[in-house]
Amino acid sequence: MLLDSADLQAIWLTVRLASVVTVILLLVGTPVAWWLARTRSWAKGPIGAMVALPLVLPPSVLGFYLLLAMGPNGPLGWLTSRLEIGPLPFTFWGLVLASVFYSLPFMVQPLQNSFEAIGEQPLQVAATLGASPLNAFFSVALPLAKPGFLTASIMTFAHTVGEFGVVLMIGGNIPGVTRVASVQIYDHVEALEYGQAHRLAAVMLIFSFLVLLGMYLWRPNPKKG
Amino acid sequence: MELHLQLHKQQGDFTLELDLNVSGERIGIFGPSGSGKSTLVSCLAGLNRPDSGRILLDGKPVFDSTARINLAPEKRRIALVFQQHGLFPHLNVRKNLLYGYQRCPTAERRIELAEVAEVLEIADLMGQMPETLSGGQSQRVALGRAILSSPRLLLMDEPLSALDDDLRYRIIPYLKLVSERFRIPFVFISHSLLEMRLMAEQVAVLEKGTLTAVMTPEELARQRMGISPSGYINLLELGAPQERQRLLAFPWAGGELLLSGGATAEPGMFELSSKDIILCKRHPEAISARNLLPCTVRNLFETGSKIGVELDCKGAVLVAEIVPDAARELAVTIGSTIWAAIKASAFRRL
Repeated sequence: MLLDSADLQAIWLTVRLASVVTVILLLVGTPVAWWLARTRSWAKGPIGAMVALPLVLPPSVLGFYLLLAMGPNGPLGWLTSRLEIGPLPFTFWGLVLASVFYSLPFMVQPLQNSFEAIGEQPLQVAATLGASPLNAFFSVALPLAKPGFLTASIMTFAHTVGEFGVVLMIGGNIPGVTRVASVQIYDHVEALEYGQAHRLAAVMLIFSFLVLLGMYLWRPNPKKG
Repeated sequence: MELHLQLHKQQGDFTLELDLNVSGERIGIFGPSGSGKSTLVSCLAGLNRPDSGRILLDGKPVFDSTARINLAPEKRRIALVFQQHGLFPHLNVRKNLLYGYQRCPTAERRIELAEVAEVLEIADLMGQMPETLSGGQSQRVALGRAILSSPRLLLMDEPLSALDDDLRYRIIPYLKLVSERFRIPFVFISHSLLEMRLMAEQVAVLEKGTLTAVMTPEELARQRMGISPSGYINLLELGAPQERQRLLAFPWAGGELLLSGGATAEPGMFELSSKDIILCKRHPEAISARNLLPCTVRNLFETGSKIGVELDCKGAVLVAEIVPDAARELAVTIGSTIWAAIKASAFRRL
């Protein structure tokens, strides 16, 4: 066997985390992207900048603030204790929440671009043909933005897989709970287990390359997005 | 159909200020670009909200700022055919056609797919995707899609301007046929006087955001003869021709007209400018123009620096234009007889 059980556990956890985050962001990011693509409100600038923040912030900064917010004195911590969910830091769901923030722009920006590319006309046509805004969204905007959804989902998934700093800040390093593949590699290197680090790193590298390759091959004509 | 519009809309530097009452089944809105036609269309369809005023369609308000009524576009049942066909690229022709049909309340549906497909000759295209259609096919499908939503009113916003010249006039019969066959009143928006004359029975003329006149397309064409570089365009419906000494002889007004210039030997609609008709007081002994028609002057009208002469040629009407000097020399008066000379090359097929 190439990878030992701890490695496999880390990979499984990574896949689970990335999948959950992608699904949540599809639900959360779509309305945000739709709003950003269509609004003429002054708030578009500030909200758009906030969504993009994780692109430039060091993960440790984001992780630090999230840790404070999730802590017993933070607003999220207060909320979770009131709801009797228990504290979020160093749990899988704490990691999920942090990753949702961290990967938000990777979902929102491709979606926003593809919504903007659709333009006003198809939705106006749909409206004059009797489609309500919600109906037009599902019957026209969603199918036309399909390539955007695919790109956004892949980017989000892959980016969550590649996360490291935020995981360390929020999740720590608990096997099976928060120890994802990137952290596992770090651990191997710390323990001078270069062989194992190599194998896991190679798996990550090949996975990332295949994901990106698939994305480029699948979309020969980006104009359609 | 009765349309009452009274609205005010400010858009940047542009103000649309309209008070318009029209009734009829084929209404035209005519004006140059920038006259507010498109703003008016989007206000009618509900895609743009006027600042104030009201819009009544057959007496029922679709917008009324004082009564705080502003029906959403999907509730107005006013279909719109755009300049660009606007077919949904992810749906095939059939699904495009049925998009509005499926969203129309069952009780209100009165037009069926098969019928529309037959009239528009698009039945063979059902499985195709929009990207595989030609410009004319796309526009016919877009028209069919609008019709199938059983609208109370069909808006056509420059539906022909994206098409090539020869295609444009082949679509017009479909537009009229569909409106008559399915009894859907329409508002046809265009900057083309010729399209107005082919499509509309009443024309509202817009200029710089205000209504300047409501008249018949014929009146509008005569009024604009003096300022239009192409004069007044006579429209002639000509039957099947016969070949005669390298020219084509088309039956017309009991006699015939000789045409040249690569005219194909098919019946059709032809245009002839008022500038291409030469008037002679007496029969010229010999003339190069191949058509020499005895006419009676039915009417005279002045427009700009020109005088329009309405001629009666064995029952058919032609309009010629002359300058006042010529009018004096010819001594044209209503009822006088005169000869009209027209070159065989002056006709142009639409």
